[in-house]
Amino acid sequence: MAPDQEGTPAVDEAVAEAAIGRLGDVQRVTEAALAFLDLEDLLNELLERVVEILQVDTSAILLVEEDERTLAARAAKGLEEEVERGFRIPIGRGFAGRIAATRQPVLIPDRETSALQPVNPLFAEKGVRSLMGVPLIVEGELIGVLHVGSLTQREFTEADVALLQLVADRVALSIERSHLAVQGQIAQTLQRSLLPRTLPELPGLSMAARYLPASREAAVGGDWYDVIELGHRRLGLSIGDVAGHGMPAATYMGQLRSAVRAYALEEHRPRELLTRLAHFAERERSRMATVIYAVLNLDTWTVYFARAGHPYPLLVRQDGSTRFLSEASGPPLGTGAGARYDEQRVELESGDTLLLYTDGLIERRGRRLADGEAALAEAAVAAPEEPELKVRTVIDQLTEEVETGDDIAVLAVKAVGLHEVLEVEVPAVPEQLATVRHLIRRWVAANGGGDDDCASFAIAVTEACANSVEHAYGPGDAGITMRAEVGDGVVTVTLTDRGTWREPRGENRGRGIPMMKEFMDDVSVATDEAGTTVTLRRRLREGS
Amino acid sequence: MAELARLSFDTQGDIELATVVGEVDASNVDELSQTLLERVSNKACGLVLDLSRTSYIDSSGISLIFDAAARLRNRRQQLRLVVPPQSFVSEVLAAASLQDSVPIDPALDDALRAVGSG
Repeated sequence: MAPDQEGTPAVDEAVAEAAIGRLGDVQRVTEAALAFLDLEDLLNELLERVVEILQVDTSAILLVEEDERTLAARAAKGLEEEVERGFRIPIGRGFAGRIAATRQPVLIPDRETSALQPVNPLFAEKGVRSLMGVPLIVEGELIGVLHVGSLTQREFTEADVALLQLVADRVALSIERSHLAVQGQIAQTLQRSLLPRTLPELPGLSMAARYLPASREAAVGGDWYDVIELGHRRLGLSIGDVAGHGMPAATYMGQLRSAVRAYALEEHRPRELLTRLAHFAERERSRMATVIYAVLNLDTWTVYFARAGHPYPLLVRQDGSTRFLSEASGPPLGTGAGARYDEQRVELESGDTLLLYTDGLIERRGRRLADGEAALAEAAVAAPEEPELKVRTVIDQLTEEVETGDDIAVLAVKAVGLHEVLEVEVPAVPEQLATVRHLIRRWVAANGGGDDDCASFAIAVTEACANSVEHAYGPGDAGITMRAEVGDGVVTVTLTDRGTWREPRGENRGRGIPMMKEFMDDVSVATDEAGTTVTLRRRLREGS
Repeated sequence: MAELARLSFDTQGDIELATVVGEVDASNVDELSQTLLERVSNKACGLVLDLSRTSYIDSSGISLIFDAAARLRNRRQQLRLVVPPQSFVSEVLAAASLQDSVPIDPALDDALRAVGSG
C-alpha cells in the first residue's frame, strides 16, 4: 500500500462518548426506521440524518454483494447517480474498497492531491474534496461501507471519525434488523402460503396437522404437509422434507408441494406420482428431499401410499396396537434418476389413526432410529384419540427438554369409531352424499345391522341429506349434523341442518320423504327457527 | 379413479342400450340425465336402460327415469328398464311404483325382445 495522506486514526473513547449526545437524533431515526420495510427507504432516511449531523455535502452507503467480493452503492446523498448507475466496486480497490478490505476508517483530506482515489469518477465530476469513510460491521461481519464527503477542503477530526463510526454502527444494526424483518416477513408469508390453513371437513374422518420450525428465527423450513381433495371421494395426503432450512429450503419445499398437488389433481396413483415427482426434482435441483404421497378412499377408508425415502407412516389401531408401514420403498428425491416406487395398501378400520410425520419428530443426536420409532409409537398410543390432541401431545412429549434442531411436521388422519354413538358434521354439498351413505352403511353393519338394514339407512340418510343440500342452504359451506345411535335393536339417526325445510318443488320431485318412509319404520321432520331435524328409526331385521 | 357411476352405450339394431354401473344420487344425476338424452337419437325406436349393475339409486334416479320416460314418450320412443328382481334397485323402484309408468324386465334379453316387437 503506497503511503499517502490518509490515516487510520484510533478511536478515542472519550471523544466518542462526547459525540453520543449528538446521537440522540440518529437513535430516534434508526428506531423509527424499522417502520421502513423497504431497505432503500431506510437507507435514504439514515443518510439524511448523517449529512445533517456531520454537516457534509455527500454521503453514501455501499453494501457487500452476495458474492462477497464487491460493494454496490445502495443509497447516496449528493451522489445519487452512483446508485442510479448501479456502481460496483471490488473490495480492496480505491477508497471504499480499502475501507472494506481493512475494516478500518479511511480519510482522504484532499482528493486532488491524494494517491488514494475513489474508483467512481463521480467524485471528481462533483468536485468532492475531502472524504471520510468507515466500515459497516455487524457481529464481526462486514456488511458494507458508509462514507461522507465535503465539497470544500476539510480536515476531518478524530471526533468526526468516531462519530461517523458510531453512526455507522447504528446504521449497520438497522440494516441488519431490516434484513431480518424483511426475511421474517417473507418467511411468514411463505409459510402461510405453503401450508394449508384449514384441513377439509369430511364425514367419517377427522384430521389434524402441525408444523414446528427448527428455530424461531427461521420460522420456516423445508418440511411440509398437505391435504388435497381429489374428487371422486378420494383424498390426497402428502408430507415431505427438503434437506436444510431457511428460505432456500422453504422455496424448494413450496415447489415440490405444488408439484405434488398438480400431479395429484391429474389423478396419478401414488407410485406414478412419486416417479413423476422424482423426474421433476432431478431437473429442478440437487437438493435432497423425502416425501410420502397417499390416496385415501373416503368411502372404503382404503389407503394407498408410496414413499420416497421418508420415515414410515405409523398406524395406530383402536385397540392400542401400532404398526410402522414399511413395505413401500423407494429412494429420496434428488439422489439419481430412474427411481422406482412401490405402493403399500392399508385399510383403516373403525377408530384407527394414520400418522404421517417428518424425521424431526423421531431423530435425535446419539439415539438409534429404532429407539426414536419406539418412543413415537409409545407416545402415539398413550396420547388422546382426538387427532388435534394426539398430534399436540405426541409432539410435546417427543420434544420435551430436547432441542431438536430440525423442523417437525405431523399429519394425523383418524377414521371415526363405529362402535359408539356416531356424530359427524357433513358439508351440505352433493359430492358428499356418497361418503355419508357409505359411512352410515358401515356404522349400521358395525352395530349389528344386516345388508337390508344397511341399504335402508343408506337411502334414507341420503334422501334426508339431499333435501338439506337442495333446500336448506344457498350456495356455501353450511353443514348437516348426523347422529346415529342404537338401543334395544333400534337404530335412530337424526340429521339436523340450520335451514328451513322447504316442501319439494317440481313435477318429479317430492319422492324423498315417501322413499324414507318406505325403508324406515318411522320418519319425522321437525322444523323450528334454528333449523330442521329429520329423525329416522328402524328396528334391525337381521344380524346379531 | 372411478366416477360414482359410469354410463356406457351400445346400439342393437335400432335400439339404444344404456348401462349404468355404479351409484346414482343427486351429485351425478344431472350429468347422467343429460348424457343419456343427448345420446338417444330420433332414429332409435327405443331405449333400454340397464340397471342390473347399478348398486345404488334413490329418488334422484327415480326422477331421472320418469323424466326420460316422458321425453321419450313425446318422441314416440319406448323406454324399458332392466332390473333384477330382489335387488336393492328393484326395491327402490317398487317403493316409487315406477313399474306403473315404465315397463321393467328382469333381464336384458327380455327388454331387447320387448322393444323389438313393440
